[in-house]
Amino acid sequence: MGEFVNFLQNNLADFWTYTGFHNATYQHFIMIGVGIFFIYLAVAKEFEPMLLIPIGFGMLVGNIPFNMEAGLQVGIYEQGSVLNILYQGVTSGWYPPLIFLGIGAMTDFSALISNPKLMLIGAAAQFGIFGAYMIALELGFDPMQAAAIGIIGGADGPTAIFLSSKLAPNLMGAIAVSAYSYMALVPVIQPPIMRLLTTKKERVIHMKAPRAVSHTEKVMFPIIGLLLTCFLVPSGLPLLGMLFFGNLLKESGVTRRLAETARGPLIDTITILLGLTVGASTQASEFLTVNSILIFVLGALSFVIATASGVLFVKIFNLILSKDNKINPLIGNAGVSAVPDSARISQIIGLEYDPTNYLLMHAMGPNVAGVIGSAVAAGILLGFLV
Amino acid sequence: MNKPLIGIFFISILLAAFSSCTTPEGKTKIVINEVLIDNESNFEDDYGVHSGWVEIFNTSYNSVNLAGCYLKVSSEPGDTVSYFIPKGDVLTAISPRQHALFWADGTPRRGTFHTNFVLSKTNDNWVGLYDSGRNLLDQIVVPAGILKTNQSYARVSDGSNEWEVKDDSETKYVTPSTNNQTLEGNPKMDKFEQHDSVGIGMTITAMCVVFTGLILLYLCFKLVGKIAIKLRKRNAMIAHNITDKQEAKDRKFGETPGDVIAAISMALHEAQGADHDVEETILTISRVKRSYSPWSSKIYTLRENPHKK
Repeated sequence: MGEFVNFLQNNLADFWTYTGFHNATYQHFIMIGVGIFFIYLAVAKEFEPMLLIPIGFGMLVGNIPFNMEAGLQVGIYEQGSVLNILYQGVTSGWYPPLIFLGIGAMTDFSALISNPKLMLIGAAAQFGIFGAYMIALELGFDPMQAAAIGIIGGADGPTAIFLSSKLAPNLMGAIAVSAYSYMALVPVIQPPIMRLLTTKKERVIHMKAPRAVSHTEKVMFPIIGLLLTCFLVPSGLPLLGMLFFGNLLKESGVTRRLAETARGPLIDTITILLGLTVGASTQASEFLTVNSILIFVLGALSFVIATASGVLFVKIFNLILSKDNKINPLIGNAGVSAVPDSARISQIIGLEYDPTNYLLMHAMGPNVAGVIGSAVAAGILLGFLV
Repeated sequence: MNKPLIGIFFISILLAAFSSCTTPEGKTKIVINEVLIDNESNFEDDYGVHSGWVEIFNTSYNSVNLAGCYLKVSSEPGDTVSYFIPKGDVLTAISPRQHALFWADGTPRRGTFHTNFVLSKTNDNWVGLYDSGRNLLDQIVVPAGILKTNQSYARVSDGSNEWEVKDDSETKYVTPSTNNQTLEGNPKMDKFEQHDSVGIGMTITAMCVVFTGLILLYLCFKLVGKIAIKLRKRNAMIAHNITDKQEAKDRKFGETPGDVIAAISMALHEAQGADHDVEETILTISRVKRSYSPWSSKIYTLRENPHKK
């Protein structure tokens, strides 16, 4: 009997070593706290709930402590585990192009086609990427890591994941979380910079109403866009190819079902998987490092630089534009490709200073140009460094 | 657009493509990469035997299967030995940028990678690689007397055009089934670290490319936009039966802003009967009490008992 009781005791003691309570460290609790904070931001403040709910819950999933010596195949970094299999889409980089397919199928490029000079704002805002790249180099990251960190400034989660999976896979978790977090925090980061860099007079500039864009122009845009950008930067093909393909599905008018699938069920499915696995990849043992903290700081800086360079570029650009064609610098922030949040910020801030000034459609131009610009920038970095 | 115009359009695209693009000079995916003739104490096969060998390299970033290809060797005019690489062996698939090694031991019964020929130590050796359609993929002549024992004749680096004698010295070593030149570091990264440690070079170059790409798009769509406005103006002139261009310009044909068109569309939509805010029908919502849900209901999940008749 005593032996049997002993056996039960040993069994329970053994079981205890497998529980989360036994394996928990303070790092796990920090990450769980961050995850709960993300969920709070999404639910209570409605900051990008589509991103922060999956990422936040993914953080909880990824930070349930377990016995890593036991080979239970439950962790995201354990080969063959379910989470690891789902994570393959991130590590091998095929989730981001599928997201881009959906983005292409839901994006209306009319604003950009009707006023193509707005594309240049999208190009200028990419300076955030390279500004952060230079600072990262200064902080001691190697060029590949610096490029992967810099891309956070493109404000494009899929692009950041795609590039970091190729250039710095070991930093991908931190880069992805940082990119998505700052995308969610666009309403907090951008307005002060926009106010700081613009005068009251500039904020009330009314822009010329965009002209109507014909169906032919809309169909031509993805075809010409693909050919021009990908002939220039073939390494951007996975992202740009899918973006323009999705847009052609939308604009052709004859593939409605495919377009609806791409911008509906497909992108939703991939967003769920991407968000959850990116969140889960923040396993405390791999994630809580000095590098991760540096990446978060650099990510914030790159967002600030990108926003500032977009706004400043518009101010400089206005010097050579005629009086009727002036651009409101409040749409400069939209050069970062957080679609459509940064364009929405332009609209909100614009309305604050003039309730009759609707900037949303104008801001969508640089916003979608930013998507193209950041994909091109990612292609350039890939081409230079791989 | 009529047919001749479409034809001219496609022909001009084809001509432009052929005139501006460079052909890859018939480069094949698989090449002969290294040959060792006299093997005394170099790499040994699974049987512990030292024989000459021929290394093949897959230059592409995709798997290539050698099954069905031919390795041919000739050391005397008119005397060519041909080895058919057998099908059905998974090992004949070479992974991207990887190698396959064939033993020139004259004993094909020992396995797929043991050929039916032996390389001559005294004469020139011509080695050719053919695909299953007997098209020559690559060939090399190893001149007589150029190689000493345990030395190989190899491409300087994998897949490169220059060949050299690998004499097992500090920089030129014999490399069966592995890279002809081992990379110690990342040359691209080293270049960046050496010349652009601050990142300004990268920033300037990359921003130039980003701007170039988007400026090209801008120019393209500025042109497309102008053509579109012109066409719209022409159509409007036809619709209004106007031939005077100045009058069309004064009336701003084809320049209607999008918001005006949106307002007109909305007005038309409402005029077509979409303007009723108050419905004539009375909608009654009555509460239905359902104490079960499909998740808990046994009615839909349990099988019914058989009825007794």
